[in-house]
Amino acid sequence: MLDLIIKNGRVIDGTGMPGYAGDVGISGGRIVKLGHIDEPALEVIDATGKVVAPGFIDPHTHFDAQLLWDGYAKPAIEHGVTTVVPGNCSLSLAPLKAEHRMKLVGMFNQIEEMPYKAFEEGVEWNWETFEGFIARISQGLSINVAPLVGHSLLRLWVMGEASMERIATAAEQRAMADLLRECLDAGAIGLSTSFVDSDEKLQPVPSRYADPQELDTLCAVLSEFGRILQIVPEFYDADLTIARVDQLAELSLKHGITTTFSPLFLNRDNVAAVQRTMARVEEQFARGARVWPQVQTRPIDISFCFEVPSLLFIRLRSWYKIMRFGSHDDIVAAFSDPVQRAALTKAAAPMLGLWKNLTLRQVSTAANQPLVGKTLQEIATGRGCEVLDAMIDLSLEEDLQAHFLAANMGHNDDAAVGALLAHPNVHIGASDGGAHILSFSTFGDTGYLFSRFVRETGALTLEQAVKKITLDTATIWGIKERGVLQKGYVADITVFDPALIDRGAEYYVQDVPGDGSRYVRDAIGVDTVVIGGAVAYQQGSGYRQAGRGQVLPGSTEASAG
Amino acid sequence: MTLSPQRPAMHPHEHDDWEAIARRELPDQDVTEAVSQLQSWNLHVFMRPAAPAGSPREGNPILPSDIIFLAPPAAAGK
Repeated sequence: MLDLIIKNGRVIDGTGMPGYAGDVGISGGRIVKLGHIDEPALEVIDATGKVVAPGFIDPHTHFDAQLLWDGYAKPAIEHGVTTVVPGNCSLSLAPLKAEHRMKLVGMFNQIEEMPYKAFEEGVEWNWETFEGFIARISQGLSINVAPLVGHSLLRLWVMGEASMERIATAAEQRAMADLLRECLDAGAIGLSTSFVDSDEKLQPVPSRYADPQELDTLCAVLSEFGRILQIVPEFYDADLTIARVDQLAELSLKHGITTTFSPLFLNRDNVAAVQRTMARVEEQFARGARVWPQVQTRPIDISFCFEVPSLLFIRLRSWYKIMRFGSHDDIVAAFSDPVQRAALTKAAAPMLGLWKNLTLRQVSTAANQPLVGKTLQEIATGRGCEVLDAMIDLSLEEDLQAHFLAANMGHNDDAAVGALLAHPNVHIGASDGGAHILSFSTFGDTGYLFSRFVRETGALTLEQAVKKITLDTATIWGIKERGVLQKGYVADITVFDPALIDRGAEYYVQDVPGDGSRYVRDAIGVDTVVIGGAVAYQQGSGYRQAGRGQVLPGSTEASAG
Repeated sequence: MTLSPQRPAMHPHEHDDWEAIARRELPDQDVTEAVSQLQSWNLHVFMRPAAPAGSPREGNPILPSDIIFLAPPAAAGK
């Protein structure tokens, strides 16, 4: 008897071929039958009117810490995601010596905006090696994980404090190469590095002290295993991004590896720059290099309150310094003192165009509730004050807990973004899942892909969109036996209503260890999610079948890019 | 296969600072002027937060992983 049959659905199998009416039969965790199935099963799911697709794969996440207290990486599964790739941007949580743990927490706090308290309350540090970390997250793992190892971690392990001072010696490079081999043997899917990030002291992360020879040495190890390299380039500048594309191309060609860079943002004011970047990507692909730009689906929205240092203020050093390094009382004092307030207001004045369009999204006091949903310009006009004064006054009135939304700040030209997402040399990803939890929700990008770029704009067909986030991702990352509905493949499956699938409204929820909160979005239109042949989640009845997630090492040896 | 030309750039050598790069890559120019040009072409490095006092990088913002441009952006017309 089969374990599970998903009947009467429209099977869109991930290959990009037209969908067809059919059933999917599952036994022993794998797809065993496709087509018309007329036999009994322990469970039958009726997918009439629904699409039956491979489970979605999210290639750019920072769920490293969340997986330690939440084996589902909630609510990722609810959005149809069955596999996540953590450890991006040179940051993973292993290999990590005990003496460096707080350093890593500081980096995660600064770069990925993950609260210290979440680590303090939610993480029991009982590993140092990558193998130990894999064993740790495998306990109760209910979503598949293909973990990267961070370059900054390798440097920190081998060089200690010197990793943030200088290049590595030849002996240190050899030690890092050996350590990377250990990590890949233990299940790492590849290596991540960063050319832009800074730590909690606003100094460059360890990976930025590596010279090109070190990266070349590590890529030689990736080549031994057929694994991938992920980087964060200087994404804010096209010339720099193109230089990194060229650097990746040379590494890809020399070592026969796949590379990917994230993010590539397309705003209304940089369309030409992105076109230049993509032209270079195409040139390099034509040479036989594999350099995949990752593009997210959602526009950039950022929320903030004064109590939490938002990356929105990183260009305003005086503001950022107070918010980043000041206590709650320090921040209140700074904005309450007339002299300091005047200086801070003057510093922020050139960005008035940003401030006046911010929306007040959340307050605690009853007196200010009527202002929720209004822009700062509207509030300032109503109060008879300047825009910046309105923002500061509200923050003080709300004990720094007034939340503001800067909506649609970037990646906001839908026609251009849609064309980019559909480009054959573009990889859909860059969600940053699990990071920036106090700035925006990283959940729902897959729903938004279907709602905005399939249904509303037609930039992609349903089959193309499914392929982009299933088989294409699996192929690029070397994830075997997943990403397509095919006999013998692992049964990671997402059933959704193509007419409804979407991301819900963003909201703030308190469910992070340490009484912490984060922005999330509910899924709309995702009916059932199957992981490893067992139902992991169903709309209406919630989560089931804990513990079916697997750690997925991959190989890109057979990858055609 | 020949790639289309892009903005000239290089990776720093070990211990490179602005002056060392200027002397090596722009040898025909007055070194002070060359340093000033390099800094203006590489604001991503020049405007970087200073390294802490006492660190090996004190006074030199250049990192081993940096891309250093040796010419202005194409829009500048050079």
